[in-house]
Amino acid sequence: MNSPTLLQARRDRVLSAMADADLDVLVLGRQDDANFASGMHRLWTAGTRPFGAGCIVVRSTGRTHVLSSWDAGLPATMSPDDLYPSTWNPRVMAGHMSSVPGLAEARRIGVDEVSPSFARAAARIAPDAEVVAADDVMARARRHKSPEEIELIRRACAVAWAGIDAYLDEPGIGVAGVVEAIAAAGVTIPSSAPLIRPLPDHHHLDIGVMVDGYEGGVGDGFVKGTRLDRHDLWKACAPGATHADLAGAAVGDWLVRGLGMGYERPVLSGAIGHHETLEAGMVLSVRDGEQRDVVAVTDAGPQRLSTHP
Amino acid sequence: MTALLVLMHAGTMTAATAPPLPDLARLRRTRLDRLQSEMRRQEVDVAVLLHPPHITYATGFVPEAVDASQLLYHRPVAIVPAEGAPRLHVHEPTGEPNDLDAIIGSALWPELDEGVDALVGAIHAAVGDLDGRRVAVDAITGAMARADVFAGAELHDATRILGPARLCKTEDEIACIEHAQIINERAMEVARRRCVSGARRSEVAGAFLAELRRLGAHHNEIDPIFQVMPRRLADAVTTDKGAVAFPTGIEDPVFAEGDLVWVDAGHGYEGYASDFGRTWIVGRDPDDAEQQAFLEWLHVMDETVAAVRPGATLGDVGRAAIAANGGDPPWLPHFYVAHAVGLDSAEMPMVGSDLGEEFDDGFVLAEGMILVLEPVIWHDGVASYRAEEIVVVTDDGCRMLTGHPGYAPYERPAATGTTP
Repeated sequence: MNSPTLLQARRDRVLSAMADADLDVLVLGRQDDANFASGMHRLWTAGTRPFGAGCIVVRSTGRTHVLSSWDAGLPATMSPDDLYPSTWNPRVMAGHMSSVPGLAEARRIGVDEVSPSFARAAARIAPDAEVVAADDVMARARRHKSPEEIELIRRACAVAWAGIDAYLDEPGIGVAGVVEAIAAAGVTIPSSAPLIRPLPDHHHLDIGVMVDGYEGGVGDGFVKGTRLDRHDLWKACAPGATHADLAGAAVGDWLVRGLGMGYERPVLSGAIGHHETLEAGMVLSVRDGEQRDVVAVTDAGPQRLSTHP
Repeated sequence: MTALLVLMHAGTMTAATAPPLPDLARLRRTRLDRLQSEMRRQEVDVAVLLHPPHITYATGFVPEAVDASQLLYHRPVAIVPAEGAPRLHVHEPTGEPNDLDAIIGSALWPELDEGVDALVGAIHAAVGDLDGRRVAVDAITGAMARADVFAGAELHDATRILGPARLCKTEDEIACIEHAQIINERAMEVARRRCVSGARRSEVAGAFLAELRRLGAHHNEIDPIFQVMPRRLADAVTTDKGAVAFPTGIEDPVFAEGDLVWVDAGHGYEGYASDFGRTWIVGRDPDDAEQQAFLEWLHVMDETVAAVRPGATLGDVGRAAIAANGGDPPWLPHFYVAHAVGLDSAEMPMVGSDLGEEFDDGFVLAEGMILVLEPVIWHDGVASYRAEEIVVVTDDGCRMLTGHPGYAPYERPAATGTTP
């Protein structure tokens, strides 16, 4: 579980981004956004779900409310009163939401995904409110990482290495053995599909995991247990770097994207992200061909978090 | 297919007892036909689909089972006209045969403002101008909303089209669920042997996940649950309705001898979910009270299964469960006594949910519907038992899709009831 200081800091970032966007309430359906805003620890399921009100942040009260029928996983920064129980019944759900203090009076409600059925429900619960897309508000709140978050990401990268090391010791274990080695480190949640590819002259490995809500990962070609580490795209990830800078530094097919509580913005690749500029405080997954690193963009230059622990 | 061969070689089943493999080409064709005929019936011109089960249903493409955040950005998109081939845009091809003659387009980024133009272009290429058309959608990203991608169109909730189409499973969909379940049960046998005193939950989960991989399965859908259940409700985390909280899925306990462990896991075969539910006891056989709870569970399961047939309502099934349990609902009140599986791990119909009795009494079971029955027996301070069985409604009753490994460490008395 993340520290109360970090949870409070994340909530403050959300509230401040809400103030900047003139939002009274945020209704979050995405697991990672809900986790970022609340810190509530919950069961992981793969893949995306249809939009539902998993977490509600109210600016006037400064409170975060979470959809949960129990208080297991409740962080120290929340009280059991901040929970509203899960239900299959839309009418019951509307009732639960109406009882969230500050929601009925809201003028502007932000949502991280737009759903026509939620807009209809909101019209009944908060009749005066305008419902607006606020995925970009959450993206802004999540854009820069604190030193504590950077350490959590470094730790997650180390867990990814536990899988890679196990494979390099004994390639016969295959992907099953890699999954088991990562579980032996206490981690059973993948961020991306584990890639274990024995090729004629080297092994291509890429592992991504989620540890305490934060993502870590590393990928590369390996020969006789040694990382090839051929590409320097990560070195181009300095504050102020543009799409053109990264495209110029990349050798192969490349993707640079935000990394924190999962996959985040900005996203830059050959096809997308032409107007993005890197900023200090970002943490990025940087892939060029087979090589993937996790890099913190700092004023002192790019810092690799995915080096062997 | 690989997985089934592994099972047969491992000697757990023979070609004679193994259920038939799905005909995947027929599966894909039938689903698209059903979807498009439902679209025409509801006078919908085009469906723009972002929800993975919807995309699989329309095109056969099965997105990877990875963290939601990853899939949000690398979203596949399916654009389905009411007649003709669907259009599919993916980031990572799965290598499925394209027997629907789908038009395969380049990766789209509907999550990003910069990606919206390409999405609009893809929709236009597939079906032309949306102005005045009826369009079914299942998700609108912030970027799509800001660009007003569906301006001028009459929006329709895609769930209202996909829902009816998905309710009754075809022979091939049932075969997918059954195979997912066989693989799940087989991998759980390995995990159960590892669930010993001193083992950590993550190790047991790792053994399960690794065995899935060895069996050729790579679509795990949930962080597998091995939750140690307190004997007394007073010692448990409880729900707003006063029942035991399950599945919390957040602890990584070290197991001790005599722990009661409720197990729940699911992975997908061609996107179709399995649902494994059993109760284990760490390091020893059940005592008399634990065995008694299991026998009561068996009785409830047998009686409930006996009520599942075409023409019965969900209410009939729920009442059978309650009657078998001496008048008390034998399930967790935040859930249900039964739900379906398919391309989602919990889908309609649901029995005993808080949608209420009126809903349950108005919903009639039909051939091809799936129910995952999950009654719970709780004797406070003594023992509890929870397990799950999947049945499919047949033309005159139902058929079990689960139960190949039995109930170890509990022993089922010989020759009673309908469960295997």
